[in-house]
Amino acid sequence: MSHAAHEFLRSAAEKSADLAHRQIIRRGIDSYNAANVRGRSRFLDWEAARLRCQEIKWEAVNNLDRYLLEFEQRVKDRGGHVFWAENSEEARQYITDLATARGVRKVVKSKSMVSEEIHLGPALEKMGIKVVETDLGEYIVQLREEPPYHIVTPAMHLNRTQIADLFKEKLGDVDTDDPQQLVAAARRALRRDFFSAEMGISGANFLVADAGMIALTTNEGNGRLCTSVPRIHVVLSGIEKVIPRLQDLATLWPVLATAGTGQPITCYSTLAGGPRQPNEVDGPEEFHVVLVDNGRSELLANVEEREVLHCIRCGACINACPVFRTVGGHSYGTTYMGPIGSVLTPRLRGLDEFQHLSYASSLCGACTDVCPVRINLHHHLLHNRRDAVNASDRPWSERIGFMLWRWAVEDARRFRAAGWLARLGMRVVHRLRLDGTLLDPARPWNKNHAAPPAPAKSFRALWGKRNGNN
Amino acid sequence: MATTEPQTENPGRARILERLRTALRESTPRPLGAEGRSIFAPVTDVMARFQKECAANITECIATPDMQSSARAVADLLAALPPGEIFVQDSQALRRLAPEWQATRSIQWSSEGGPKESAQATITSAEALVALTGSVLVSAACGGRGASVVAPVHIVMATADQLVPDLDAAFELMRERNTVFQYSYVCLITGSSRTADIEKILVMGAHGPIRLIVVLALHHD
Repeated sequence: MSHAAHEFLRSAAEKSADLAHRQIIRRGIDSYNAANVRGRSRFLDWEAARLRCQEIKWEAVNNLDRYLLEFEQRVKDRGGHVFWAENSEEARQYITDLATARGVRKVVKSKSMVSEEIHLGPALEKMGIKVVETDLGEYIVQLREEPPYHIVTPAMHLNRTQIADLFKEKLGDVDTDDPQQLVAAARRALRRDFFSAEMGISGANFLVADAGMIALTTNEGNGRLCTSVPRIHVVLSGIEKVIPRLQDLATLWPVLATAGTGQPITCYSTLAGGPRQPNEVDGPEEFHVVLVDNGRSELLANVEEREVLHCIRCGACINACPVFRTVGGHSYGTTYMGPIGSVLTPRLRGLDEFQHLSYASSLCGACTDVCPVRINLHHHLLHNRRDAVNASDRPWSERIGFMLWRWAVEDARRFRAAGWLARLGMRVVHRLRLDGTLLDPARPWNKNHAAPPAPAKSFRALWGKRNGNN
Repeated sequence: MATTEPQTENPGRARILERLRTALRESTPRPLGAEGRSIFAPVTDVMARFQKECAANITECIATPDMQSSARAVADLLAALPPGEIFVQDSQALRRLAPEWQATRSIQWSSEGGPKESAQATITSAEALVALTGSVLVSAACGGRGASVVAPVHIVMATADQLVPDLDAAFELMRERNTVFQYSYVCLITGSSRTADIEKILVMGAHGPIRLIVVLALHHD
């Protein structure tokens, strides 16, 4: 078992037994669900919206080179710079070199999952540059020295008392657990940072090819301050974020907001495409876009998995996932958590080390049902399982087990006999009170669950009787 | 400050593009799409819809008969704010209305630079108003980037003929005006700054304005 798999199982067991944690998450997800249902009802045809978004992302991803070049050209036309990074290291290097060359001492960041993916923050801090997360949720987890718990609501796992204690310790001037006043305290602290930072770093929800602009979705306004006030604006984005046309946002913006938080559209849907122009009042002197590949082009080459690149990072699949709700966002130990994280991480960081995430799923398909770009998420989890099995040596016990299984199910009489044997075994194990012990073949399940009573008759027998009676 | 041009040329760019092109030699089938299906119900009464959506997203919308009345309405709003300078987009239209406010407030015009952090309010125009979502579309031409985000109160002076039914129409308008090629910044603002990052409880005024006020004149004069 890989180290990551071991840690996942340990943390998942701990978190699923933490009832206070589960209550906080349940409350958060319930409130999201209520808003999301309201949000979807504002659409005349939500399914049509999903189909449209799927089509837009399909077109973008299947012409990725063309749209990225168009985007690059238009950014350059406005005096911006575009850097293509093959991996995390190149992306980090470009940004740290830029920061050094420009004498940057403080960076304000709005939310960017790619910056987590490439570990940008620690790289800047190692050079003595102060990095301040400005999204309130990100700010809170940064103060706690934790990674984000959820890609949309990073501090979802904390209640107001915990946040109040944190602010009292770190900011000093707060002594309340009223959310309004906690937000005001963060606003005061972060205002100072916005106006003293030399560099603002943002992610991008979309790279709009025909406009040469990035589209940024925020509610707080931190993204707008990061991109307006500091002297330098750096955008960090995966290459798959490109979309063909500005007009596509007429569907993507409301769909992203509805899937992400249940809002009809977020407060600030911003487009930025360069440094301050000669006819403009304000804005940064420099504008840089760092396009990150980091394994995405390999995913593109895998035709079966290509649509995973359609993801718009709304978090809907995470909220819908019964596994996430139970084990929590930190247990995954990955930048992207929940179903999309379980699909994406093994592809970006190694099937071998992260194949266990393909099993962090009940295959219920709730993720696929809610995905606004219609990614067939639970099928991709199955593909990952298959590819991981094919790529590695499985233990002999597993191979023999499946050989026996195959032999048994290939013939009706053998299948009946196997069923009879299994029911007998269940009864014996239960009679001897061996459920969940090392002698129980169903131990992985039974050690955490009360074993159901073994059925007296097989399904086939019951079915035959039912039909006979009719 | 160093002024060296950043080095964006690198062998990685060509290698990434090569990988993308190789990967895309094999195509995936086009998905179904939503051809012929309407995603949103068409907006019929733009004014009524805009006002309804503003109420829902907590934008204060004040309707007035003409721009001169709008200016007086803004003067009333300013009277209730703490003392201090205000920031106003430098345009002919707003210069003409400014005397209504200058009696009590000193004005920093956008031609003098971006708004200071101490500005009590910013007053700008808009590119358009979107009825479907109750949104205000601004570009860098509307007093710059900071004009709609730095101060605690953002007042938008608009006219009813700026209303468009939906986002499609707003993007169409931007295309006609060539907005994204003239300016480096556009923002669709829907309500004032907010966050629900603490226990999913809605709090207004996270980093941007605590109040967004649209003063909407039915006619120009």
